[in-house]
Amino acid sequence: MTAITQSTALWYASRATGVVSLLLLTLVVVLGIAVNRQGRLPGLPAFAVTGLHRSVSLLSVLFIAAHVATAVIDPYVSIRAAAVVIPFVSAYQPFWLGLGAVSLDLIAALILTSLARARMPRRAWRGIHWLAYAAWPVALIHSIGASPDLRSGGLRLLAIGCTLTVGGAGLWRLAQRAREMPRAERAAAVLAASEPPVRRPARPSFVPDREAR
Amino acid sequence: MTSSMTRPLPSLAQYSGRDPNEPLAGPAESRYLGGMPRLLPPGPGPAGLRAHLARFGAPPLDWAGRGLVAELQAAGLTGRGGAAFPTYRKLAAVAGHRRPAVVIGNGAEGEPASSKDKTLLWAAPQLVLDGLQLAAAAIGSGTAGLYVHRDQRLHQWLAASIAERAAAGLDLVPVELIAAPARFLAGEESALASRAAGGPALPRFKPPRASERGVADRPTLVQNVETLAQLALIARYGAAWFRSAGTTDEPGSMLATLHQADGQMLVVETELGTPIRDLLRLPAPAVLVGGYHGAWIPGGLAERLPLTNAALRPLGAAVGAGVLAALPADRCGLAETARVVRYLALESAGQCGPCFNGLPRIAGALAELASPWPRPEIITDVRRWCGLVEGRGACRHPDGTVRLVRSALEVFASELDQHILGRCAASSSRPFLPLPPDLALDEADWR
Repeated sequence: MTAITQSTALWYASRATGVVSLLLLTLVVVLGIAVNRQGRLPGLPAFAVTGLHRSVSLLSVLFIAAHVATAVIDPYVSIRAAAVVIPFVSAYQPFWLGLGAVSLDLIAALILTSLARARMPRRAWRGIHWLAYAAWPVALIHSIGASPDLRSGGLRLLAIGCTLTVGGAGLWRLAQRAREMPRAERAAAVLAASEPPVRRPARPSFVPDREAR
Repeated sequence: MTSSMTRPLPSLAQYSGRDPNEPLAGPAESRYLGGMPRLLPPGPGPAGLRAHLARFGAPPLDWAGRGLVAELQAAGLTGRGGAAFPTYRKLAAVAGHRRPAVVIGNGAEGEPASSKDKTLLWAAPQLVLDGLQLAAAAIGSGTAGLYVHRDQRLHQWLAASIAERAAAGLDLVPVELIAAPARFLAGEESALASRAAGGPALPRFKPPRASERGVADRPTLVQNVETLAQLALIARYGAAWFRSAGTTDEPGSMLATLHQADGQMLVVETELGTPIRDLLRLPAPAVLVGGYHGAWIPGGLAERLPLTNAALRPLGAAVGAGVLAALPADRCGLAETARVVRYLALESAGQCGPCFNGLPRIAGALAELASPWPRPEIITDVRRWCGLVEGRGACRHPDGTVRLVRSALEVFASELDQHILGRCAASSSRPFLPLPPDLALDEADWR
């Protein structure tokens, strides 16, 4: 077991935040798919999925920022600040880090357009949000390519798990698409499921309605 | 606000029944007080073209293109459809485009508790049509429409009124009558733009706003029919005359639909700034202000407040489209709110997840809160869900519904405590606030 020393601390921090970022991004993608298909998560109202999707996205931004910052600051390999956003210009692992820069740019576009969503045309926001389906695979390939850790042992299982989760959610989405409820019936369907059950003896009305015919 | 309130108001139109779609046979009673009424005809029965011209003369169409926008700015006229947006700014925004503009009078009064637009269209259609022509002249538009709920008698009356004007050679622009579906959101600006172009009356995301790209992607001026009638009077009599009624910040008169606690429904024209106690017969436990996207305020407070946005804003309420309802003392405000919110939830267009998932869930929880022994934790849930749906729709439907729900939880807090103990102060469960009958909906209902 390698000991964490001062010189390796940043390196470990970068890898750890990278792994957490991958997990969070996987969760964001799955929640995003659930939002779009009106999915339900146990114990959560359907419309709360939107809020969770947003919160986890913003949390993942923090981890990605920490991941990138620690990688750049770490003196062990020199990564220029420009290589963070410009793909394929890094001296160290130009291709794999380039993919990281590509996914970072895509994620930045997603976050910025979502923050400005109320002030931009809906169609433009939607078009840009589709880039999420490109950003996640690129980020995954960046992780596997840049880090040998993900190619063996427990972290390999994690990478496979993430791939299967997103793949499964994508397939579920395609299946859901076929049986979508007409929009005129949606509110009524949710209402039917939300109204308190009429259990006459347990929940009587306050007033025996003498006035109504 | 002046203290010489000469206005126990002119009762201009009185409804016998509770069917909000029923057109008026004619105003049952009208009185002139303080220069009122301005919009509604003084005599019994609706005003035809001859009576209209005798009272107001022809609209100054040749002047409108040069000075109307500035006059509207000086008058301080705001939209009477509920949003109270400055009218001159809308006109200026549409006039600023180079592409040919469209102007549409919005008479789609989806709000079940409001009848003032239907009353105005029935009683004074020529004033509305004057306003439509003047607005078209002011923004240089060659296309005009009048968007009104599908009602055979009203449409026949309006078609005849339009034809009468055309025959008299009064108009610059032909007016097309457009039928609005009987849905709560049909009068929403983007829904109107979609319907006027032949599509379903569904709200869409903004931007672009209708003033940039509305009907068939052309810049579109959408004005409530009462706003157009007010505009037609300002074009004739000027800003100073308009400001001789109302308050300095909120000038002019407005139409209001009053629901008295005894079930009487009344459409009146009143000055902004009129004390609410002069409009509604109080005391009442609570007063609903601004309709179903409005807010409940405690009855005791309502007795001391004037009808202005400045006075109502601190309470989270607004004048809106001028609906005022006094809750009868024998009814439960929570039960009334639960009925209305259930209706609003079902009126969701089913487009935005937070709306069509959130509102029915809130409605279901309110139904529980309106019945004996609700689980107390439901109140916390409702408050949280309100936060989750607010601002998350293509239109303001979730926001308006949440406003009503929050005000009910606030104003009827002691009733909530009673319900939790299995008690309720109300002695009648007879419905009070008007709602259309429950109908199964499909896609065709948006057209």
